[in-house]
Amino acid sequence: MARFIVRRLLGMIAVLFAISVIVFLIFNVIPNSDPAARIAGKNADPALIARVSADLGLDQPLPVQYLTMMKQIFTGQLMSYAKDRNVVQQIWDGVPATFSLCIGAAVIWMALAVLFGYMSAIHAGKFTDRALTILSLVGISMPVFWLAAILLYFLTFKIQLFPTGSYVPLTENPVGWASHLILPWFTLAVLFVGFYSRMLRSNMLDAMNEDYVRTARAKGLSERQVRIRHVLRNSMIPIVTLFGLDFGQVVGGGAILTETVYNLNGVGLYAGEAIRSLDLPPLIGVTLFGAFFIVLFNTIVDFAYAVLDPRIRLGEAAPA
Amino acid sequence: MVVPVGELEVPGEPPLPTGVPASQIQGRNPWYLAWLRLRRNKVALVCGAVFVLIVLFCLAAPLWAEHVAHTGPNENHITEKVVIDGQPTNVVAPDGTPIGPGLHGQYLLGADQNGRDVMVRLMYGGRTSIYIGLAAAAVTTVLSVIVALLAGYYRGWIDSVLSRIMDVIWAFPVLLLGIALGTALAIGGLKIGPLAIAGDSIWIPIMIIGFVYVPYMARPIRGEILALREKEFIEAAVAQGKGPLRIMFSELLPNIISTIIVFFTLNIANNMLLESALSFLGAGVRPPNASWGTMIADGYEMIYTAPHLTIVPGLMIIATVLSLNVFGDGLRDALDPRAKIRLEH
Amino acid sequence: MNTLRKVVAIVCITPLAAFGVAACGSDKGGGGGGGGGGGDINVALTSFPDYIDPQLSYTLEGWEVLWNVYTPLLTYKHAKGKEGTQVVPALAEKMPDISPDGKTYKLKLRQNMKYSDGTPIKASDFAYGIQRLFKTDSGGSVFFNGIVGAKDYADGKANTISGIKTDDNTGDITIELAEANGTFENVLGLMFAAPVPPSTPLDKDATNNPPPSSGPFMISKVEAPRTLTMERNPNFKTVKDAGADEVVDASVDKITVTENKNNSAQVTDIEQNKVDFMVDPPASDRLQEVKTRYGNRFRMEDSINTYFFWMNTQKPPFNDLKVRQAINYAVDPEALNRIFGGRMHPTQQVLPPGMPGYSEYKLFPGPDMNKAKQLIAEANPADRNITVWTNDEPDRKRIGEYYHDLLTQLGFNATLKVIAGDVYFTTIGNESTPDLDTGFGDWFQDFPHPDDFFRPLLHGDSILPTNSNNWSRVNIPANNAKQDELLTKLIGDGGVEQQYADLDKAYMEQAVWAPYGNERFTTFLSERMDFDKSYHHLLFNQDYSSFAIK
Repeated sequence: MARFIVRRLLGMIAVLFAISVIVFLIFNVIPNSDPAARIAGKNADPALIARVSADLGLDQPLPVQYLTMMKQIFTGQLMSYAKDRNVVQQIWDGVPATFSLCIGAAVIWMALAVLFGYMSAIHAGKFTDRALTILSLVGISMPVFWLAAILLYFLTFKIQLFPTGSYVPLTENPVGWASHLILPWFTLAVLFVGFYSRMLRSNMLDAMNEDYVRTARAKGLSERQVRIRHVLRNSMIPIVTLFGLDFGQVVGGGAILTETVYNLNGVGLYAGEAIRSLDLPPLIGVTLFGAFFIVLFNTIVDFAYAVLDPRIRLGEAAPA
Repeated sequence: MVVPVGELEVPGEPPLPTGVPASQIQGRNPWYLAWLRLRRNKVALVCGAVFVLIVLFCLAAPLWAEHVAHTGPNENHITEKVVIDGQPTNVVAPDGTPIGPGLHGQYLLGADQNGRDVMVRLMYGGRTSIYIGLAAAAVTTVLSVIVALLAGYYRGWIDSVLSRIMDVIWAFPVLLLGIALGTALAIGGLKIGPLAIAGDSIWIPIMIIGFVYVPYMARPIRGEILALREKEFIEAAVAQGKGPLRIMFSELLPNIISTIIVFFTLNIANNMLLESALSFLGAGVRPPNASWGTMIADGYEMIYTAPHLTIVPGLMIIATVLSLNVFGDGLRDALDPRAKIRLEH
Repeated sequence: MNTLRKVVAIVCITPLAAFGVAACGSDKGGGGGGGGGGGDINVALTSFPDYIDPQLSYTLEGWEVLWNVYTPLLTYKHAKGKEGTQVVPALAEKMPDISPDGKTYKLKLRQNMKYSDGTPIKASDFAYGIQRLFKTDSGGSVFFNGIVGAKDYADGKANTISGIKTDDNTGDITIELAEANGTFENVLGLMFAAPVPPSTPLDKDATNNPPPSSGPFMISKVEAPRTLTMERNPNFKTVKDAGADEVVDASVDKITVTENKNNSAQVTDIEQNKVDFMVDPPASDRLQEVKTRYGNRFRMEDSINTYFFWMNTQKPPFNDLKVRQAINYAVDPEALNRIFGGRMHPTQQVLPPGMPGYSEYKLFPGPDMNKAKQLIAEANPADRNITVWTNDEPDRKRIGEYYHDLLTQLGFNATLKVIAGDVYFTTIGNESTPDLDTGFGDWFQDFPHPDDFFRPLLHGDSILPTNSNNWSRVNIPANNAKQDELLTKLIGDGGVEQQYADLDKAYMEQAVWAPYGNERFTTFLSERMDFDKSYHHLLFNQDYSSFAIK
């Protein structure tokens, strides 16, 4: 078990390292991304640009620049080129909004997914099932930013039901925090509810044909008890593992569009700005932040699998 | 041997003949069986038809542009006037508000802020978006199959290396990777050896989207290959002296075709959504070309006065992606009624 | 006083009580009390100021916020329109004594003035400020390169700038320039030259802990890049008492400036009186609504800028005068105005209205597509492949698409390249970028002197390998000489303005650009603000000292 953990941790670090190198290379390959020219201002003369370049360490060879940047990230001193702000601090400041958004959306999508999936499964083939299926499928067919724009238009402008964008910290005003987040939560949740509810439905349908269900019924449990205690619980396992993967992706950068449209000051919005301004330090920062969460949740999920399925721990072929 | 009742039946399939000697039963092609199953799924068929209709609609773009709208997708008509109900009206008013939708051949869906005909752009944009979806799906499929075959067949260190690479791509936040590559390549284009692609070529977003989704497809297929590899017919092939490439292409590949087909279909849908997201953020299709994603981005600036500019392209995306998803689902049910295929999305 | 309370009460009840909307425009002290009005207001902007540091800030937002916080030796008159372009004494007793050869400037600092934290303002603080310009690698340092010894100081070869001599006892300040420079007074009026105490870090950005202020407001809190707070400077009266009449006192007690990326949300907030002022103009799709329904608190304002298409005069096809003239005939300023939502004043000049030397005339009456096509036919350029550049901000992108279509209509094979806003200018200003044929350009003044336009944009010496602003790569020796000659004179000297106007015409006769408009800005205030008192200054945008609650 310990070997397994150590192996996975090393894998994590390797992946993060690879990603940081890739981002670094991509942005050093782009023409005209030289930050010195930009920072020196619109009227700069070559002497000023040269001084800026030297001050930022941009005249060093690339590997040296990379190492310096990595060191600065881990000591929390990395400064962005464009506005000279502390990258780690900015990411840290964005975390409350991003986490509020992602966790809230995740709670909603799982709750709705379980509800819809369950309803669909027990009424399989009938109207409820078809309606919920269509609803779910429509949900996963929408571009998330489009949905956000439409909701903003109809529910904050045409009918002023909700406040317009911007994040209100939980500690400042809990009611405001929630009211500003309802639309973003819903928008992000819509993407996933469909997929998860349909997966739960098909898992439950499969499970209902299993022997242990027949046994439970034979034992005399009510249909309801059978469904919830046996079928639902067993169907949830693959769902929970997939949820881990998706949640990691969402925190890691899937929220960027939602945050942009709703103007929530989270890490995603910061990432969007960093890309627009081709600013390398924040870019590496947010990419590592995102990748870290994705890999973290991947590892947690794998770990959970290993606990539940000894074959994996012992290194046999992975199940499909 | 007589075929016992109930043992080999699958719900919804044509019933097996009973009481007949086995030697007299006609075998049925699995593809034919799948087609029968699909035919029974009316909803999936309708959605498939809807998708085809949408494609035809978009292909008709040049006809509409020439005969009905009399303008191309990128032509600006900001200060021009067009005759509506006998009145010459400004295509774009002095305060910047474009003409709205209405029942007139020109500007059926109104104009955008540059005075361009939205209907014409919608159709041309659809061509671009769907083309990108299909081409990127092809790229993803080809790359995924190659990776999965190599990793699944050889296992060992090849599998380790390929899986690590897949892990790195997977761990890279999809949008960030897409935007980073899109922005990086848009300025200078791509040059690999003799292959040079211009920065504003449509192949840049295609390559990026195709590349980004490889881990999503490669992993499940690799899983299937790993499972298949243990089967006896592979052992037999090896014993027969067939080389690895032959085994991969003539033994393994045919058995995963149905998986590939399903993934391919569903992948088109994902690609279109990713393309629209990238274009919305300015890293996908380059202006002034239209795609449904760029149209949503353009329309977003006018959402309070002309919401239809945002709503309509979005509805087109939903219709296309939805029909693909439902059809793809139907395909999966038809090809694999026991639901062995699990798509990791 | 009572009116204010009623307005505040209504504002707080109307919106979405069910969801407990936060932030009701925090307002303590409802008016009344001693001089200068009072009250707390809030301001929204889309882009937080780049730096809260007088020596570093170089954006519209930064200058708007900092003008009434950091006072230089000279300043610009707090008045709207052309009156506001006049340089007047601020911390200095009077306008500088300039030697006959134009190279020596003598000023005297007023006595007994204090910063907001009580430190006395000293003459050597001015020298310290200029040193910071160089040590922080500020973009504004280029304006002070002409001071004797500045280059050696910047390169680290000297510990002080030899050309600046100060005496803290008498308050005398003497500045030596290498050559006479008619723009120097203008440049002394910018916040780059504001004195700051030596406690300010010499070579680091002071945003998180801004230096104490010498203006009517001081920065009391900064949470970059989200919000900052400005409050009355308790020691400002020392500046007023020393006789600095041209520096105007505040009329509100506190201003909270907050970033909100959503322009439309800002418009809604002002309409609902939740925010008092928005720095950016309302987005084009809300503009009409604001103009018609809130006309009594909305106004268009002039600003000194020019929007144009630059054309690379060193490469075909734009090296042919006829082709450039054709573009000038073809471009339709009205079309571009509509793209901008009606905020563009049409022009065919280099200099914008409000700039000394501006005069209106039309060398290329039109738009005239036929004449344009005819000229192109006459020129018959062999190379019809053109790359059109623009940046990805919404308006710029649409302008680029318009221009791309225009060139296509004229028979060219045009390709549009859209570059991210933050790197656009460095991309087109870098001579190693391939295919720089033509594209979007704009220029906002640094100070209201024509040289600020002509020199970086059209002087031969400004064709630099990087950070070049002369995108048309114009190098006309006669005009270069004229620019250099006019620089040695002062704008107030007889005939200088007219000569600048003639220079403008000389460039347009060569069709070096296709200018089409001057962007106008806006003032949009909440109901409780005094609409007539607040005004937009041609250089520093909204004058925060003119904000007052009715």
